[in-house]
Amino acid sequence: MQIVIIGNSAAGLNALGSFRRLDPDSAVTVVSEEPGPAYSRVLLPYFLRRRLPYERLFIRRREDYRRLGAECLFQAGVERVDPAGGTVCLRDGRRLPYDRLFVATGSRPIKPSIPGLDGPGVCHLWTLRDAVELDPLLEPGRRLLVLGSGFVALQAAWAAVQRGLKVAVLELLPRIMPKALDERGAEILAEQIRAQGVDLRTAAQTEAVERAGDGSFRVTIRGSGPAESFDLVIVGTGVRANAELLLDALPEARRGIPVDARMRTGLPGVYAGGDVALGPTAYGEPHESHALWPTAVEHGKVAGREMAGHPTAYPGSLNMNVTQMFGVTVASMGRPAGAESGIRIWERHEPEGPRCVRVLTRDGIPIGATVIGESADAALLGQLRPFVRLRRPLPEPERLVAGGGVSEAQWRTLLGRQYARAGA
Amino acid sequence: MRIIVVDPTICVACRNCEYACAFKQTGDFDTSASNIRVNFYPEERVCIPWTCIHCTEGWCMEICPAGAIARNPETGAVEIDPDACAGCKMCLLACPSGSIHFDGQAMVSRKCDLCGGDPSCAKFCISGALQFVVAEEAHAGRREALDERLKRLLRLERGDVNPEQGGR
Repeated sequence: MQIVIIGNSAAGLNALGSFRRLDPDSAVTVVSEEPGPAYSRVLLPYFLRRRLPYERLFIRRREDYRRLGAECLFQAGVERVDPAGGTVCLRDGRRLPYDRLFVATGSRPIKPSIPGLDGPGVCHLWTLRDAVELDPLLEPGRRLLVLGSGFVALQAAWAAVQRGLKVAVLELLPRIMPKALDERGAEILAEQIRAQGVDLRTAAQTEAVERAGDGSFRVTIRGSGPAESFDLVIVGTGVRANAELLLDALPEARRGIPVDARMRTGLPGVYAGGDVALGPTAYGEPHESHALWPTAVEHGKVAGREMAGHPTAYPGSLNMNVTQMFGVTVASMGRPAGAESGIRIWERHEPEGPRCVRVLTRDGIPIGATVIGESADAALLGQLRPFVRLRRPLPEPERLVAGGGVSEAQWRTLLGRQYARAGA
Repeated sequence: MRIIVVDPTICVACRNCEYACAFKQTGDFDTSASNIRVNFYPEERVCIPWTCIHCTEGWCMEICPAGAIARNPETGAVEIDPDACAGCKMCLLACPSGSIHFDGQAMVSRKCDLCGGDPSCAKFCISGALQFVVAEEAHAGRREALDERLKRLLRLERGDVNPEQGGR
């Protein structure tokens, strides 16, 4: 068989690995727009804040691809896929026939259409090249404006704080990290962010961006008075799936390529995974975009096995992620909000520190959790994972108290000694 | 390969394993540095030691976005390379038994590495609750142990005056 994998990040790499474990003989070609070998997008903020050197950003070496018998076509863009002819058409005119194709082209950052928000000094933090270009611009004392408050935007802001910049963060919605955190969690994190000197504004809409003579930006924010000056803008307002290469064959894939629990797209021999795909979730939704590293890893592994003829039914993405920033660990799983009926909420807030652990259950089965605080609390999400996957109720669900406090004994049972050790 | 196997019924919560591990890692006895933890439940009078069991397809290894977790070819242990670790904590999220912890000083994740093949915890365990055994044989005798417990229950049910006699 001839396998083609388009994409050289979490989904593509894990598809390659899991395919090879089962099929050592078929020819595999990895195609990527970026120069290889693979780097980890998750590590880019850690590089910018000088936690890791540049060399550590790479998670594969050339010999890893050789050892896995993968032919690599790096810096090769794909024009389109011809599913009827079983061919991938590259921009340079080359055509790659395939028996099985895995589309893991990921996503790209989008910019709000604000007049003036372009040109030098308006940056994203998405690719290795973005990080390398941004690095020398992070000079102490410079004024940075970050648009957005998701994982990427806040990580960029944190890196800038640590590099000595003056940072303002603007979030359009009334709370930060709206996809990962609920109101309480967002408030607690927002306090931490402000405590680090960041000018964080929610429900803040940027109206216009103008260039001053010296190249700096004059930014008008609705309701905030006269234009304010910044030297640099980082845009982290969301991503869009790189699904264009399949749009001829799958016109409904505009928002992303819908796949089933076996990563099948419906086109014969064509699979998709990672940020570009809309896959099943562990909470029952059939097609959602969870543009997260852990989800992309899982998609890749399922697709690799499927292409090798060993299908596994993927139990669905947990929408789980974790990051370390502003002096706290922020971890989330499932759905953050819980206003509907039938959902019970355990909460534990620590008055003396940034500490918030919140677990949502339906019929005793956990369907979401957010953690802000100590690293030990993040481990709680790992321990909840089997209950979520197996749809198993937490022990003694009848003792859950909706929306209120939980007794010390109940927390000790759930969190074990780690919680007590962390100083509660 | 060999792994640490735990029998919580004979653990006495002395925490020698935690002290031994902390000492092996840091030269000191602060048990927050230990890769093995004993959870003690005084109301139920149960103590449960637990550490990494070095899964064949470890979730932590698969998820690490820095490629910092890999299997040691000699010992078979799943190990975190602290130089490659970015401190993102995805492995903490991934481990279903909560066996990875975070070192807030070095800002890296830490876990059991079987001490390179000669684990201190099992060496210093005073009750024999921790055994360093060949993984494939780790559960030999479990059926017999289960039978003993069931025999005791069945004899109690039958009204045997002293089900301890004539057995364990």
